[in-house]
Amino acid sequence: MKTILCDALGIKFPIFQGGMAWISDASLAAAVSNAGGLGIIAAGNAPADFLLREIRKIKSMTDKPFGVNIMLMSPYAEEVAQVIADEKVKIIVTGAGNPAKYMKMWTEYGAKVIPVVASVALAKLMARSGAFAVISEGGEAGGHVGDITTMALVPQVCDAVNIPVIAAGGIADGRGIAAALMLGASGVQVGTRFLVATECNVHENYKSMVLKAKDIDTVSTGKRLGHPVRAIKNNFVREFSSKEYDNSVSDSELEKFGEGRLKLAATDGDTKEGCFLSGQIAGLVNREQTAKEIIEEMFSQAKEILGKAGSFYE
Amino acid sequence: MIEQLTKVLRAYKSDDTLQISETTTFTELGLDSLDTVQLLMELEDEFGVTIEVSNAMTDIGALMAVIEAAKK
Repeated sequence: MKTILCDALGIKFPIFQGGMAWISDASLAAAVSNAGGLGIIAAGNAPADFLLREIRKIKSMTDKPFGVNIMLMSPYAEEVAQVIADEKVKIIVTGAGNPAKYMKMWTEYGAKVIPVVASVALAKLMARSGAFAVISEGGEAGGHVGDITTMALVPQVCDAVNIPVIAAGGIADGRGIAAALMLGASGVQVGTRFLVATECNVHENYKSMVLKAKDIDTVSTGKRLGHPVRAIKNNFVREFSSKEYDNSVSDSELEKFGEGRLKLAATDGDTKEGCFLSGQIAGLVNREQTAKEIIEEMFSQAKEILGKAGSFYE
Repeated sequence: MIEQLTKVLRAYKSDDTLQISETTTFTELGLDSLDTVQLLMELEDEFGVTIEVSNAMTDIGALMAVIEAAKK
């Protein structure tokens, strides 16, 4: 199943594996790339030497295209952006901010920049700044999220820009892919389902939290700080939420309370005190499979549904 | 220019009594990053310029300087 994204990026299936901080390392990204999707290493909040190591590693694990996700709110964003350029990474996904200031440095050597956008205005701005495509991510997604849902955001972004649009947020099976294509997207980005891939090195407890999660088990918190995130409800999230609505807790105290929680979840597997970022679609993710199985299953299902589309109505 | 900015911001915030000065920050106005981008697009239409977005732009004074530079 090919779309215009495939030839442009040199991938077999139009699917990106979401750049999940502390989770999307060379192992997961290489597995996805080798299976024909686009594997993406997440730089997250880590210093640039972590990224450099992972880039070198993935180059030894696959000769297929891969990407890097830079989190622009990271305190190391500047040096991470430089490592990306030094290593001449060809596909760059940016999140949590506006990449305009790095655009020139990256496009100069021919990189394709693909920002994650949560609004039409940002999508337009990115298209104007030279983005190759945009990832239109709805609030159903895990991690940093906007308010608008995928269903509402994707068609509006598709109407506003004339570059490819990749749909993200709430997609974990072939039905999600089919729906995304109907909304005008030419590909999808999937995070939560790849989190439980066999090749994903995240802590086992994190995987089992996602596998067990039901539809209503995630919640978005942190809106007060201007950068809300979606995570699975647990002891930490409940406490954070009550502090968020407590006027006696200052913004900086609240910020401090949330620091380091993702690492606690991803590497230590602390089910009580960690922050387990996950999309709302976790309820649909019930099985650990290899990246290859996930991708092939998703696309064979999408193809089957789209083939039957004419029989859905009279 | 501050009158024009006030007009756009009042419309954006649906607040007819909103007052701003050069030192008013986006945070004080309750504007998050998505609002900022949205607002810049509207200001481009209002002033007929193309605004270069920068992370350093956090208050009205900086915004005015950028619009002023874009006009030239």
